[in-house]
Amino acid sequence: MSRAASLARYSLWQFRDFALERGLPILIISFLWGYALIAPIRGALGSQMDSVLASPIWPLVLQGASTLVTLSVLIALNGMVSSDRKLGYYRFLFSKPVNPVLYYAQAFFVGLIGVVLSMLLLSGLVHTILPIFSIVNFLLYTALIYVAMGGIGFFVSVATRFDWVSLAAVWLGSRILRSLYGAKGDWRSKAVELLPPVHKLDEVANSLIGTGTAHATDVLWLLGYGALFFVLGLVLLRWGSLAE
Amino acid sequence: MADVPQTGDANSHTAALVIEFKNVGKTYKSLLGNSVKAVEEFSLTAVEGEILGIAGPNGAGKTTLIAMMLGYLRPTTGTVEINGMHARQYVERNGIGYLSELIAINPKWRAETALVRFATLAGIAPSEIRTRVDYVVDLLGLAEHRTKKVKALSKGNLQRLGLAQALLRDEQILVLDEPTHGLDPVWTQRFRDIVEDLRRPDRTILIASHNLDELQRLADRVVIIDRGRLQRVVSTGYENAAPVEGTRYRLTLASGHDLIRTVFPQAEDAGRGEYDVTVHGLAELNAALADLIGRGALVASVVPERSVLEQQFREAVGESQ
Repeated sequence: MSRAASLARYSLWQFRDFALERGLPILIISFLWGYALIAPIRGALGSQMDSVLASPIWPLVLQGASTLVTLSVLIALNGMVSSDRKLGYYRFLFSKPVNPVLYYAQAFFVGLIGVVLSMLLLSGLVHTILPIFSIVNFLLYTALIYVAMGGIGFFVSVATRFDWVSLAAVWLGSRILRSLYGAKGDWRSKAVELLPPVHKLDEVANSLIGTGTAHATDVLWLLGYGALFFVLGLVLLRWGSLAE
Repeated sequence: MADVPQTGDANSHTAALVIEFKNVGKTYKSLLGNSVKAVEEFSLTAVEGEILGIAGPNGAGKTTLIAMMLGYLRPTTGTVEINGMHARQYVERNGIGYLSELIAINPKWRAETALVRFATLAGIAPSEIRTRVDYVVDLLGLAEHRTKKVKALSKGNLQRLGLAQALLRDEQILVLDEPTHGLDPVWTQRFRDIVEDLRRPDRTILIASHNLDELQRLADRVVIIDRGRLQRVVSTGYENAAPVEGTRYRLTLASGHDLIRTVFPQAEDAGRGEYDVTVHGLAELNAALADLIGRGALVASVVPERSVLEQQFREAVGESQ
C-alpha cells in the first residue's frame, strides 16, 4: 500500500479525533451561545421575525455568528501540532513511513471540513428560527476565517507550544495595534499593515454573512495572509526538529 | 571480550552497512544563550544482522542519538545516514520499528485501536491489518487488554503495547530504547526470547538500555557512551575474550568444601557454601575449576561478581568522569 494511500486512509482517524475532541465541544459551545443569542431576539420580536433585518438586533446576530466562527477555529486548531510534540505522540507516529508535513497538512484540511460541518449543523438550526439567516453565506465565511485565522494558528502551533494563547495574543494584539496606530499616517501605520488583517473581519463578516458578498480585495487579503502562514508552518515543520 | 576501535566501526567486512553516524554533534542552546553539548564527535556504524547495544549513564546522550537517528532532531554537526540516505528521509520512506523510552500514546485510545491506527500509518494493507494486530497482541500477551483504554494500562502492559506497535511491520531496522523498563521478570525473559527470534541476517537492531546484563545477553557489540561521547565499543562474544585481570567470581559448592582452599588459597567464605575467588583470566578459572572437580568437589554455580561488560562500563564511565 502506498504511503499516500495509507495517509489518506488515516484521515478517517483524524476526522474521528476531530469529531470527539473538538467537534463536540464546538457544537456544545455553539448551541449554548446560539441559544443565548437567538432566544432574546425571538422574545423581543415575537411574531415580527421577518423584520429582523431592519432591526438593530441584526448586526448583533452577525457579530455573534462571527465571534462563534472565530472561537470554533481556535478550538479546532488548538494544539494541532504542538500537542503531539509536547506530549511525545510524534515518536510513534513518525517512526512509521509518514511525512509529518503531509500528515499535518491533512489534519488541517480535516479540521476545515469538521468546522464547516459543525457550522452547517448550527446554521441549519439558526435558519429554522431566522429564515433570513443564510446557511451558504455563513459557511463561506466559516471557510474563509478557517483559512485566514487557521493558517496563522497552524504556524503558531508549529512554532510554539503555547499556541492557543499565542494565537489569541496575535489576534487581539493586532486589533489593538491597528486601532492605536492604523490611522496615524506615519511609519507605525505602515508597520501595522503587516499584522494579521483582523480589522477587515467585522466588515467581511457583516457583508459576507449578511449579503453573501464582500470586497474581493478584503477576501483575498485574508485568504492570502492565512495561506502564507500555513505554508510557512509547513516549511518550518520540514526544516525544524520534531523533538523539543 | 575484546575492545574494537573507538570509532565504533562495525567489526565486519561482509555485512552491508546500514546505519552510520559521521562525526555527529548536538548542542542545545537556551534562549539565554547557554549551550549544552549533548553529543560530541560521535561516529558509529551498524551493519546488517547485528544487534547493537547502547549503554551509558543517565544523561549520557543515548536518547539524543536515537532522536537524531529517527530524524526527530537535527545534528548540529555531522550526519546520520541509513542505507546511504539521510536518516529522516529513510524513515519517511521505509519506517523503523521504534520503541521509545517514554511510551507516549494518546491515553484516550483503546489498545487495539491504537495498534490499528499505527498499522494504517505504517502502510499495512487494510486486508492485513487485522492479522498483524492479532499477531502482535498474541505475541505480547495483550489479548485481555485489547479493549482497554491506554490510560487504564499498567506500566508493564503499556510497555508491551509500545513494543507491539514497533513490531507491527516487518521492519529492517528496530530501535528499542529501554525495552524492558517496567516489565516483570517473566516478560523481561519473554522479551529476550522475542528479540532473539527477531534476529535476522538482513535486520539491524539497536537496543539502548541501562541493563548491562540484558545487553550482554542480547547484543553482539555494546557501545558505551558518556557525556555525549563514544567511550568504548565492546564485543560481547566470549570466544575472543581477552584475559581480564583480577576478576572476582562467586563459587557455589554442593560438596567438597574442604577442597576449596587447596585450589583457591585466597578464597573467601561468603557463607551457605559460597566462596569468593579472584582469578586472572578465563584460562586460570577453567584450570582451577577442573582441578577442583577432579578432586571430587561438586560445583553448583560460578557467577562473576560483575559481568565483563559491567567492568568495561565502569572503567569507561570512570575514565570519562
